[in-house]
Amino acid sequence: MMEVLRLQNLQKSFGSVRALKNACFALKEGEVVALLGDNGAGKSTLIKAISGVFPIDRGDIYVRGEKVSIRSTRDAMDLGIETIHQDTSLAPDLSIARNLFLGREPVKLKWLGVFAPLDFAKLRDAASALLKRVGISKNLDADALVSTLSGGERQSIAISRAMQFAAKVIILDEPTNNLGVEETHGVLRFIKEVRDAGHSVLLITHNIHHVFQVADRIIVMRRGEIVAEQTVADTDLLTVESIITGADMSALLKETRAK
Amino acid sequence: MIAAEDEMPVGKRRSSLMRSPQFSSLVILVVLLAVFAIADANFLSPLNISNMMAFLPELGIIALGMTLLLTAGEFDLSVGAVFGLAPVVVMLLVQNGGVDIGVALLAGLLLCIAIGAINGLIVTKIGISSFLVTLSMLLVVRGAALYITQGFPLKSWDQPGFFVTLLAGSFNVGSFRFYTSLWWFIGLSLLAIYVLRYAKLGNWISAIGSNRNAAVARGVPADAVKVWLFILTSVLAGLAGMISAFRISAASPVAGTGYELEVIAMVVVGGTALTGGRGTILGTIVGALMLRAIRNGIVLIGVPGLAYNIFVGLIILAMLILHALLQKNAARG
Repeated sequence: MMEVLRLQNLQKSFGSVRALKNACFALKEGEVVALLGDNGAGKSTLIKAISGVFPIDRGDIYVRGEKVSIRSTRDAMDLGIETIHQDTSLAPDLSIARNLFLGREPVKLKWLGVFAPLDFAKLRDAASALLKRVGISKNLDADALVSTLSGGERQSIAISRAMQFAAKVIILDEPTNNLGVEETHGVLRFIKEVRDAGHSVLLITHNIHHVFQVADRIIVMRRGEIVAEQTVADTDLLTVESIITGADMSALLKETRAK
Repeated sequence: MIAAEDEMPVGKRRSSLMRSPQFSSLVILVVLLAVFAIADANFLSPLNISNMMAFLPELGIIALGMTLLLTAGEFDLSVGAVFGLAPVVVMLLVQNGGVDIGVALLAGLLLCIAIGAINGLIVTKIGISSFLVTLSMLLVVRGAALYITQGFPLKSWDQPGFFVTLLAGSFNVGSFRFYTSLWWFIGLSLLAIYVLRYAKLGNWISAIGSNRNAAVARGVPADAVKVWLFILTSVLAGLAGMISAFRISAASPVAGTGYELEVIAMVVVGGTALTGGRGTILGTIVGALMLRAIRNGIVLIGVPGLAYNIFVGLIILAMLILHALLQKNAARG
């Protein structure tokens, strides 16, 4: 499998706080990698660095083997890196169609720049086609306002938007937060579909159970460093939990097994 | 709401239009006009309508800018002060500085651009709420107008010429007398409707007000859009001030006092959300007409002058309650 994204010695400090010390890892084509860690471990700093929210202090980022510089969210998007946050991915007062194409609106008379009129026919057709393709069209109208959708539907729409722009890497920041059981399963199933369609997914979550359902590999961060990297098949829940907290849980493990 | 309706099939569009805030505002406007017309026959007389139409554009033009700004999630309290300062500066340059009127108007325009840019840059780059920034700007701008005139109104430019005709010329249609400012209002309204509903920029403006982080994450230059909207609002306030000063041939340093709140009232009565994301230019036009009609009609039907703000306030409050109830209903349905 081809390597889509590689991070080499990423470093980032905020004042005297070294939020990212020496992060290295690689993401292959069509794999789901879960990024785990406690609060303050540096997960969001890493994500923000990749998605162009702020520049890194030192280190290199490679996309498909080519060294790149990511200075803005636009840069990241142009390189095929799409980041989806739980609450910040959609504008609730806009229709689904308008949200799907936000920032990449199909327009007529392109020379008018920001004053160019939206191509409504194209907008609606593309949105309907997309909703159908991702299998969430049965009760969703492309013209419905996002504020009328449930959390799971919003998440699915945000993910499908990322897929639609042929993103190589889709970063999901806590995609199952605040979702009901059924909706969570819907989103997890959707993540598998995204992977099967050839996209790579970097999944950030607090819920280790979800990780074991969808991820191929697990990366654990602690205090700004990547402290472990394991394939899901080679590890188990308790081990991962102990790596995250840094506590030695083997004693507890033995005790439980003895009983 | 406005964002979606132009893309809907006709049947659905009709029902959503009926429930939309600008539609309920329109119904109330019609009712109000009917009540005033029945209470006093003079309300619909050519003279009175001409009168209302002379005042309407001056606040209406500012309201258009304010609608776009509110939709993007910000607002501007300094518009009334800019309305006062711009003509005062232009007239001082012409009368005391001997500057050509065209050059003086250009200077006034640059001044408005600067005020808007300062507002916008402080709000976006330093991250102070627009309420506080533009409140301070209101004091600075109004104070400047009072200081440079020493508090005295200036005689305005009253020699007929290109600029006076352009901004404050008048023409008769039958027994109605209209000012060119009405054309400005109509033209700018159409432009604003186009931008907010049909242009790419309008999509950005609504998205920024609805969820700024989402817009930024999609590569929308939210700060730049906001700064330009502050500039636009300021320029429109200055333009309205010039129109007014030319019309009454006087530039007063206290002109436009309290306009900021009246303009915001027009915008929210029309159905634009104070919290951003949902804006409607049609609603603002209805709102501007409504506040103008209320101010005019209340005096005509004999409410004592000193009491009339009570009624204006109560009617605005009633409108807002109605919008809130409709919103709740829509959410439930």
